[in-house]
Amino acid sequence: MMADQETAVAGGHDGGHDGGHGHHPTGWRRWLFSTNHKDIGTMYIVLSLVAALVGGAMSFWIRLELLDPGIQFNVFGAGEEAAYFQFYNVLVTGHAFIMVFFVVMPALIGGFGNWFVPLMIGAPDMAFPRMNNVSFWLLAAALVLLLVAAFTQGGPGTGWTIYPPLSNADFHPGAAVDLGILSLHLAGASSVLGAINLITTIFNMRAPGMTIHRMPLFCWSILVTAFLLLMAIPVLAGGLTMLLTDRNFGTAFFDAARGGDPVLWQHIFWFFGHPEVYIIIIPAFGIVSQVVSTFSRKPIFGYLGMVYAMVFIGFVGFVVWAHHMYTAGLDVDTRAYFISASLVIAVPTGIKIFSWLATMWGGSIDFRVPMMFACGFIFLFVMGGVTGVALANAGMDIAFHDTYFVVAHFHYVMAIAAVFGMFTGFYYWIGKMCGRQYPRVLARIHFWSFFIGVNVVFFPQHFSGMAGMPRRIPDYPDNYWGWNYVSSIGAFITTASTLLFFFIVWRTLTAGEKVPANQWGEGATTLEWTVESPAPFHTFEELPDMTDKQADE
Amino acid sequence: MTATRTDNRKKNRLTAMVLFTVAGSMVGLAFAAVPLYKLFCQVTGFGGTPRIAAQAPAAAPTDRTITVRFDANVNPALPWRFEPKKTQVTVRAGEPTVAYYRATNWSDAPVTGTATFNVTPFKAGEYFSKIDCFCFTEQRLEAGEEVAMGVEFFVDPEIFNDPNTQDVTAITLSYTFYPAAKGKGKKGGKPRQAKAKQAKSLGPVSVAGRPVKG
Amino acid sequence: MMQRLTILAPMTALSFFGAAGNAFAGGRSEPWQMWFQPAASPVMERIIEFHNLLFVIEVSIVTLVLGLMCYIIVRFNAKANPVPTKTTHNTLLEVVWTGVPLLILMVIAVPSLNLLYYADRIENIEMTLKVTGNQWFWTYSYPDHGGFEFDSVIVPDDELKEGQPRLLTVDNEVVLPVETNIRLLFTSSDVIHNWAVPSLGLKLDTVAGRINENWMRINKEGDYYGMCSELCGINHGFMPIHVKAVSKADFAEWVETARKEFAGAGGPAPVRVAETGAR
Ligand SMILES: [Cu+2]
Repeated sequence: MMADQETAVAGGHDGGHDGGHGHHPTGWRRWLFSTNHKDIGTMYIVLSLVAALVGGAMSFWIRLELLDPGIQFNVFGAGEEAAYFQFYNVLVTGHAFIMVFFVVMPALIGGFGNWFVPLMIGAPDMAFPRMNNVSFWLLAAALVLLLVAAFTQGGPGTGWTIYPPLSNADFHPGAAVDLGILSLHLAGASSVLGAINLITTIFNMRAPGMTIHRMPLFCWSILVTAFLLLMAIPVLAGGLTMLLTDRNFGTAFFDAARGGDPVLWQHIFWFFGHPEVYIIIIPAFGIVSQVVSTFSRKPIFGYLGMVYAMVFIGFVGFVVWAHHMYTAGLDVDTRAYFISASLVIAVPTGIKIFSWLATMWGGSIDFRVPMMFACGFIFLFVMGGVTGVALANAGMDIAFHDTYFVVAHFHYVMAIAAVFGMFTGFYYWIGKMCGRQYPRVLARIHFWSFFIGVNVVFFPQHFSGMAGMPRRIPDYPDNYWGWNYVSSIGAFITTASTLLFFFIVWRTLTAGEKVPANQWGEGATTLEWTVESPAPFHTFEELPDMTDKQADE
Repeated sequence: MTATRTDNRKKNRLTAMVLFTVAGSMVGLAFAAVPLYKLFCQVTGFGGTPRIAAQAPAAAPTDRTITVRFDANVNPALPWRFEPKKTQVTVRAGEPTVAYYRATNWSDAPVTGTATFNVTPFKAGEYFSKIDCFCFTEQRLEAGEEVAMGVEFFVDPEIFNDPNTQDVTAITLSYTFYPAAKGKGKKGGKPRQAKAKQAKSLGPVSVAGRPVKG
Repeated sequence: MMQRLTILAPMTALSFFGAAGNAFAGGRSEPWQMWFQPAASPVMERIIEFHNLLFVIEVSIVTLVLGLMCYIIVRFNAKANPVPTKTTHNTLLEVVWTGVPLLILMVIAVPSLNLLYYADRIENIEMTLKVTGNQWFWTYSYPDHGGFEFDSVIVPDDELKEGQPRLLTVDNEVVLPVETNIRLLFTSSDVIHNWAVPSLGLKLDTVAGRINENWMRINKEGDYYGMCSELCGINHGFMPIHVKAVSKADFAEWVETARKEFAGAGGPAPVRVAETGAR
């Protein structure tokens, strides 16, 4: 183990004081040319925090606009309603893209994945450190491109689903959609490179004795996610390329006028889009599993069941895509098949939930902030899960499709749940990442305010949706006012809570108390707790030998 | 130590190559989905895609009848009026029938159009066969010209044996006319034109042309 | 095309609470509504019925998990239970929590598929309505009644009359007879729209270049409202649907007037045909 200690400080600080370990760059070069998994992980987390401000601001704008009937914030001035409605659609689109590709994925996969997969499997770094660097900067470029797209010629007001014909050159003639497509291409390339890196690392670089079935569940979750990325993102890339050539080079893949089929786009998109929601949530499964086990001071219950539940979810995730298209006009037998396949997913998710509860059962649970967020995650995920079972039924979905009920459902089950996964991971690992502990009281306030806030935002949306309110509209019939008003109040709470989180990040980095190598005690059994905090710049240059260690199960 | 590192590097590179191949083939799959989806629709009648038959069925028509309804749409970019001559006909299953649409170019320039089509309910798609159709080729109408466009089709009697289609008493055949794409509609036109060569050309005919059956 | 209104303060919105009780309650949402709009078609009746089953299951699962979590929090916190057990397996338990959900799913799947196939069967159709989505209004045509057609465009806020709901009122509502099996054909002239009327249990995309088909039967007279349910561009939020269901006799009467009123209203084509004097 190295003697010198360096800080890999989260939060954009240059961890400057180089401890005499001369062969890696310092200053801005340390970050720009970084090949260190911890530094790159940190940069992913910083990018996620920055993007969260933008994506969060967009959602806050949406909620403010919907606080009352009528148009509230037409920044383009009277008579420019069309420009504002387009802008509103761009907000809806941008919020989704940013949250999915630039907040949740970078934090969970790029951030925690980079940081802790090598640490947990006892590898000195990722398999391809330079490719790792490329992945990150591709994503950063993609974010810039997406923001440029939003301000180009009215922006892409297509929704994140980018359905043609709305997204084709007839209805979005400007460069906005092209830039958006290019941004997604870059983000996709970043993800695929990242996935290849993570899979290779996990397959080939585990420490001696770290057999695949001893691997911590977080690594398993990242492995499954990386495979989903590897297989889903290229399909999106193919579809986007077709859309791009349709728009610019006269092909007609999705143009009905020339023999194409717009519904084919929906199939391609959702073939990617459904696994994508698992890409978002499965890493959160992994984090929550680690945290539940740590703070219950018990090994995970039914480890193998947990592992193969994730693998199974990943597989089935590829054959249920058309449940997003129940009202597109699909043959009845097709819908019948997709009902059955989609319902099946409830079984492995049930296994996961009950295994978490069983892990806690009989434990000696320390309800620290990460554990609170993990419990919050389980509750939110169950809430969104049961409405998902309802939505899987095509006959039922007629009443729900494209209403706020769906908005409530997917925010519970993957958006807010994933954010809870992020907070769980943050509070769990921040000590390891920066060597300092979060302020406990503020963190508890953050949990409660965020938990209450998001529930106040999204629970009433079930009601609006059942009453028939469509998604993606800047104004609504007056009778929908009540629950929208409540929902917007929740947005104030959530926004305040998010700002509090940023304050907590700052306080942690500047004034947090120093933590020892294993700050969580006997429950924390994974390898990252064997190295000092903050984790040194180089870890496991001599591989830890795990062969003696009892299997986790 | 160095030896294992080199080994590791080789192993890593091999893994990455395999994974790149997987990603690459998934891109390929996305593109392959285009012809495969089309083929799938044509073979199974998915999405209400009618079959294309070279000739009428060999078996004698049955006595059971089914209603075929006609629907017509014109893309706003095409200066045509387009409508079925009759809203619906009742046909004996298995019997080839010709139906006509009327198309008028109300602009003062010649315009070429091309039609997309499907039938509903979708589950009837695999039992609805076209022998010949104006939609197999592009149609050019002179300024002010009005033509009758024919479609020859039959309904497969098997429709009465499929438990799924027991409730089907009427099939709607729908067309949407679009302006033919510049560059002779190279993308969409292909399969249809190829098919049209096999079938005897039936449309367009002038109004005074062929007698209207059925 | 839309003249949009000024900002409404929350207090203004509150005043709408009183205005809700009009003659045709049920065709649109009520203030603070937490449930479905009352069903006005056999399909929607069955959707609600099926949802009642689902809802019980949903609530039971959430309650079970929440109950277990509360129990765990009380019973197994570090103070209450200082020494954790080492249990990591219980085969019986694992079989149960795999098997029971499977059973529940079967209980769901059977009525679900029944509903799906019921909603798909188009039987004993008495008339047809064709719906065409446009940016940003609907075109309705009646092919079985002479093929007349008309556009249905939102009425701007400042032109609303007393009692007309904002964002749901159109210039020409689509009039249909009650207790009639109606075939619906959907298509679009541009992007994908979605014709949705919650109380009638209807929601289907309109896609240019193809038709989709559905059916409905309206149980009782009334006004049923809906909104476009697929993002279709700038004025996506401003292309409402207003179905006016009337008795069969009234419908026949309306058809007579409508045929005259909307004769030749189907775009520029009919007029031009006359001009160019088709052969
Ligand atoms: Cu629309």
